[in-house]
Amino acid sequence: MRLLLIEDYHPLQKALAKGLREAGFAVDVTGDGEEGLWYARGNDYDAIILDLMLPKMDGLTLLKKLRAEGRQTHVLILTAKDTLNDRVTGLNAGGDDYVVKPFAFEELLARVRSLVRRKYQDKSPSIRIGDLRIETADQRVWRDREEVHLTPREYELLEYLAHRAGQVVSRTEIWEHVYDFHSDASSNVVDVYVGYLRRKIEREAKPPLLQTVRGRGYRLGDTP
Amino acid sequence: MMRSLRARLLAGMVAGMVGLLILFGVAVYAAVHRSLVDGFNASLAVTAKAVAGQIEQKGQKLKFEYDDLKMPEFERKDNPEYFEIWQDDGKVLARSPSLGTADLPRLSGSVAAPGFQALTLPNGRPGRAAGLESTPRMEDQDEDAGESRGDRASGLPAKAQRVLVVTARESGELESQLLRLRWILLGGSGGAILLSLLVAAAVVRRGLRPMNSLAAQIADIRADHLQARVARQGMPAEMTGVVRRLNDLLERLQAAFERERSFTADVAHELRTPLAGLRSTLEVAMSRDRSAGEYQEALGDCLAVGKRMQSMVDNLLMLARLDAGQVKLNPQPVRLAELVDSCWRYFSDKASARRIVFENALPPNLTCTADREMLSLVVSNVLANAAEYANDGGRIRVSPSGSDRPELTFSNTGWRIGQEEVAHVFDRFWRADPSRGGQGVHCGLGLALVQRAMNAMGGRAAASVQGDVFSVAVTFPGSGRVCAEGQSATNEPR
Repeated sequence: MRLLLIEDYHPLQKALAKGLREAGFAVDVTGDGEEGLWYARGNDYDAIILDLMLPKMDGLTLLKKLRAEGRQTHVLILTAKDTLNDRVTGLNAGGDDYVVKPFAFEELLARVRSLVRRKYQDKSPSIRIGDLRIETADQRVWRDREEVHLTPREYELLEYLAHRAGQVVSRTEIWEHVYDFHSDASSNVVDVYVGYLRRKIEREAKPPLLQTVRGRGYRLGDTP
Repeated sequence: MMRSLRARLLAGMVAGMVGLLILFGVAVYAAVHRSLVDGFNASLAVTAKAVAGQIEQKGQKLKFEYDDLKMPEFERKDNPEYFEIWQDDGKVLARSPSLGTADLPRLSGSVAAPGFQALTLPNGRPGRAAGLESTPRMEDQDEDAGESRGDRASGLPAKAQRVLVVTARESGELESQLLRLRWILLGGSGGAILLSLLVAAAVVRRGLRPMNSLAAQIADIRADHLQARVARQGMPAEMTGVVRRLNDLLERLQAAFERERSFTADVAHELRTPLAGLRSTLEVAMSRDRSAGEYQEALGDCLAVGKRMQSMVDNLLMLARLDAGQVKLNPQPVRLAELVDSCWRYFSDKASARRIVFENALPPNLTCTADREMLSLVVSNVLANAAEYANDGGRIRVSPSGSDRPELTFSNTGWRIGQEEVAHVFDRFWRADPSRGGQGVHCGLGLALVQRAMNAMGGRAAASVQGDVFSVAVTFPGSGRVCAEGQSATNEPR
């Protein structure tokens, strides 16, 4: 899952980017509003974490512009402004969630995950495809009651495919949602990770879950 | 001294009323007293004249016919009247039966102006007496020719004699009338005073009602509701000035409270962001086992945040002390050029990395008498601001200016926002850029500190913008006496 973090206070930006990446997210980071808007327009982020007081363009203006352009990306407002009025203004400008600084990192993580689930119309933290079960809250995966241990990147790939289960997902889409500008991966890397993932979740005795659709991409599970 | 305005007004009004009533009562009493006594005297005089009219002179002899008088008043037991008649030679000619053998005082007076006197009557009661001397009527000779002839025959001419008639009467009725009058006046005055007290109380209460309403309105104003104003309509003309001043005061109070409130909110807000950074850095660092290098990096980040917070708290504390006037100054000669150079050292590395040119145009011997620490606080903060906001490749210049009052001007290029924004540069937490700045040592308190510190030293700080050049001018108090190109300073080693 790919996030955009727009926060200008350097120590916080650094800590959040590190923490979110370690939690398996692909994170693009910027410290000013104009660049943030440019990123948000150019990529299909699963969620945006937005500070309000930003150089060049403040967070509320950015948010209003995004919504005016019809972008549906979920936005979590992260700010030191804590009055009722600030919260109402933030949510009315098109924000989906509002977290006041300082906050517990765990809570931010949980809220971001909830926003990501909502993007894929999934409210339950657990996804089932056949006998494959994914618990998104603690990022654990079971196949046939046997736990499968995945690396964060493998897990992100699986979760993204699972959110779009039954659909054909292109390599570019996967790349866009699992990798950030920070990583120097090319789209070839997607095939490599799909290979790793297959080795861990497929069972010889059963029909394959993750299928290659020639020339188009991959599909997890059967077409509904 | 009475504390209550109402009591004071009431007392004044009642005292005035009592005085007036006493004057009025005394005047009325005197007038009535006089008129009653005059009437009494007149009736005594009439009686005396009537008695005198009954005296006849026959030849040398005086004759008084009591029976002809036909006045039973002189005989009655109860409240009788009295008279006594004396002849020229002092013998008593006649007495009223009521008098018995007692005497009345000999009161002299004429018919036209009888004499009057208060006295104690023979029966022991108080009374008044009137006395007049008169010449008795001569007996007509035709009436009694024989006698008259005889007298004439005696050869003596009939010489007119004079008699003194004194009448007296009990004055108890008069006294009781006067006593009644006294009571009426006393009672009336008392009643009037009581009534006037009630009326005055009502009038005063009514008159002071606007004050009570003012008091009630003021009592309703709370610290969290300072936008309230005292209503001016219905206030009497004497109080509109007070109300206006009160409303002005409220306005200033409200502004001050709002400033404090927003300042507190600003402080909380400014501390939240570094706190968030601190907490997230620590939480992420502790979320899993890491290498020593990673922990070290996280600790370094935390230390930087801590330093930033400390500098902010220090600045806030200094601001509070300056605002409260708690800073002790120790003025001493300071070489300005040297001070500016030593303050610039902190910023020179970062500034040269951004190709910022720094120029110190102060003459080396320019000296000023000021508190060294306070002055370096001022210079450091102005320079920090200049270094933070100067554009890359820009210019920072410190120059002397001001002919009569000593002044230093710090200017830097790179002003990017509207000219009208310059009015806010001394506000606490105001930043040319609303963000905290990527590296973030700047927290928007520097120039506020500069202004407060200059004010504490008796000088002032002013900011101006010309094109993209932002200037802060700090002016020292007094004239060349305080700050001069000191001759003695040139001899000191640099």
